[in-house]
Amino acid sequence: MIRKHQPRRRIPDVRLLSCILCIIFPLILSSCAPSHANRVVIGSKNFTESLMLGEIIAQEIEARTHLKVERRFYLAGSYICQQAILAGRIDLYPEYTGTALTAILKQPIGSEKSDIYQRVKQEYETRLDLTLGPPFGFNNTFAMEIRGHDARRLNLKTLSQASAYAPQWRAGFGYEFMERPDGYKGLAAAYNLHFAAPPRIMDLGLLAPALKDRQIDIAAGNATDGLIAAFDLFALEDDRHYFPPYEAMAVVRQQTLQLHPEVAAALAALGGKISDQEMQKLNYALDGLHRDPKDVAHEFLLSKGLLP
Amino acid sequence: MERTLASAPVIEFRDVAYVLPNGKPLLLELNLEVQRGETLVLLGRSGSGKTTTLKLINRLLAPSGGEVRVNGSSTVEANVIRLRRSIGYVIQDVGLFPHFTVERNIGLVPRIEGWEAPRIHNRVEELLQLVGLEAKIGERYPHQLSGGQRQRVGVARALAADPAILLMDEPFGALDALTRDELQREFLSLKQRLSKTVVFVTHDLREALRLGSRIALMEAGRLVTVLPPEGFVRSDDRLVAAYVRAFADGCELVAQRGSL
Amino acid sequence: MNLLHFFMENRGQILELSLEHLWLVGISTLIAVLIGIPLGILSARWPVWNRPVLGTANIIQTIPSLALFGFLLPVPWIGERADRLAILALTLYALLPVIRNTYTGIRSVDPAVIEAGRGMGLTGRQLLLQVELPLALSVILSGVRVAVVISVGLATIAAAIGAGGLGEFIFRGLAMVNNQLILAGAIPAAVLALSADFGLGWLEKRMRPR
Repeated sequence: MIRKHQPRRRIPDVRLLSCILCIIFPLILSSCAPSHANRVVIGSKNFTESLMLGEIIAQEIEARTHLKVERRFYLAGSYICQQAILAGRIDLYPEYTGTALTAILKQPIGSEKSDIYQRVKQEYETRLDLTLGPPFGFNNTFAMEIRGHDARRLNLKTLSQASAYAPQWRAGFGYEFMERPDGYKGLAAAYNLHFAAPPRIMDLGLLAPALKDRQIDIAAGNATDGLIAAFDLFALEDDRHYFPPYEAMAVVRQQTLQLHPEVAAALAALGGKISDQEMQKLNYALDGLHRDPKDVAHEFLLSKGLLP
Repeated sequence: MERTLASAPVIEFRDVAYVLPNGKPLLLELNLEVQRGETLVLLGRSGSGKTTTLKLINRLLAPSGGEVRVNGSSTVEANVIRLRRSIGYVIQDVGLFPHFTVERNIGLVPRIEGWEAPRIHNRVEELLQLVGLEAKIGERYPHQLSGGQRQRVGVARALAADPAILLMDEPFGALDALTRDELQREFLSLKQRLSKTVVFVTHDLREALRLGSRIALMEAGRLVTVLPPEGFVRSDDRLVAAYVRAFADGCELVAQRGSL
Repeated sequence: MNLLHFFMENRGQILELSLEHLWLVGISTLIAVLIGIPLGILSARWPVWNRPVLGTANIIQTIPSLALFGFLLPVPWIGERADRLAILALTLYALLPVIRNTYTGIRSVDPAVIEAGRGMGLTGRQLLLQVELPLALSVILSGVRVAVVISVGLATIAAAIGAGGLGEFIFRGLAMVNNQLILAGAIPAAVLALSADFGLGWLEKRMRPR
């Protein structure tokens, strides 16, 4: 043992003190955390449309209420957002009915597609202490996109028609589309799609450029993709109605609405105000023109007379 | 020379054997008695079984065969903790608790026996004086003491609860010759003031002759002979004679014993 | 906007995520200590437990952290809430340093001290609580320090599965290619790790036996 000549205080005192401190200190800190008393935290997923919706909701609430709005955008996906809202780290975020049903509630689509919004709302309210705001008015379902040039040349309008050419094509999909129950697997079965090689998997943002540059021939994009017009892409019609509807709305904590009923009013004001085309234009403003989301959101709300 | 009392022996070994788990025997057929008030020295070279014998007394080891009796009861039947607390134990490395002051070290057994603080404090002071240390050493920590001081504290600690039996395993072996001599002398003076039964392990014949009332010579796990010091130096036994030759000046020591 | 300005503007969120981070690290370390120290004592007392206990903790450590998070996702109750999952995973990773250092700390107590204690009639419990643990405390604390520093780093990955904490800044910053956001997560996390290391190291030195 190393012998040092230093006077030492009694161990028990220091030990006891530090034990007490280690337990109490974090608890004190936690209670100092800013409360939700007069603020609302809005989350969004990590792609353009979600970000756009998040910003629009945020500015509407800021304009209509006296609440402070905190933005926690670019959360990495549906699961992350779900965990965050359940834990109370965020108060609301924009979601889609189809995603909520299959990926979060983990239920099958079923044959009746018209009442998905109601089903989701009921499940959320009874099981999860969450509720839905009114739909924004557009349906961002999956859209199988091909180059406009090919669509015109081969006279293709629907997916059934396109499936004949599948063996000659290279497909490109995002991670979620490959894994989700309402994604590739079901689609291939519904339309009898057989590609020569396994589909390439890549980031959502890279799909459109890859399609344009002929690295892939068909991609699973979204109906409201901003780059559809810009890159001269064509969205094939889902004639067998495989894809469920993906109506967009806000998912919000019931506790938040009880604490701040004015949030419900703000969400109601946004109900039905964004059409498919309008969403496409908003997305294009970000993806194609690289404008600031705050400016785009502000302009949109102004044009719709939504800023009181 | 101490008188042996004509009463039952304090410690008894009856046909005791101790065998390691791997089969190697450390002690065989040990029959030995320790009388009240005597200082029995277990003498022998390394590996002769003397430390094993000592540890059988306070049940740090249990016999593989035969029986060890302390104050009439078998060690394996008695309450181990009570047994150990009634026996003082001093080892060569002392084993003072480095995180306790000298006072807390000495007062440990009284404290866990539930003595009140003032009584413990008085006892510690008394013991420090007994072993020849200043009272203010009580506040120091073991690492601040010299080797000799540490062993004195070790002895004080062993005596704290006033046990009737004291076991000492080469307690002065790690000290320099001068300090050893000093402590041996103090041991003898302590022996006169307190009447304890002591079992003392050493490999040094001079120490054995100086301190012991009887010397038990052990070799290869067996007891060779038990003799008082004068009988030891005059013995014809081959092994004993070898020992005496090896410590040639032991004879002079015996002659000088009377003057101590 | 320069970095300092960014930090000031978003200090509310930075504080909140730091507290989330501290909460994850604090709870998991506490549980790891409550489980790990007894396990360490067990394997020090009865060496037959040494191999299974340390061996298991070792195996857990070799599982890549993100993979462990993934394994635990389908587990009922644990997998439903990301913070429970993260706390469980962080606890598992903190076990090895705590167990191993408790074992080492107790084993490295001077055998003469143990022998003297036993010979004096200290019961097993008294020996453990009054002698072995106090003497092993410094080494045990060193293990806790390692566990805390590991946890602070691992908790940043926990954000990948939605458990919150400073890692959220990092992942968001990566998605938006926004350096300031990344640093808003990385710098406080580094500060947390360094302070824990420094603070516990200081405590460790105070406890060291002579």
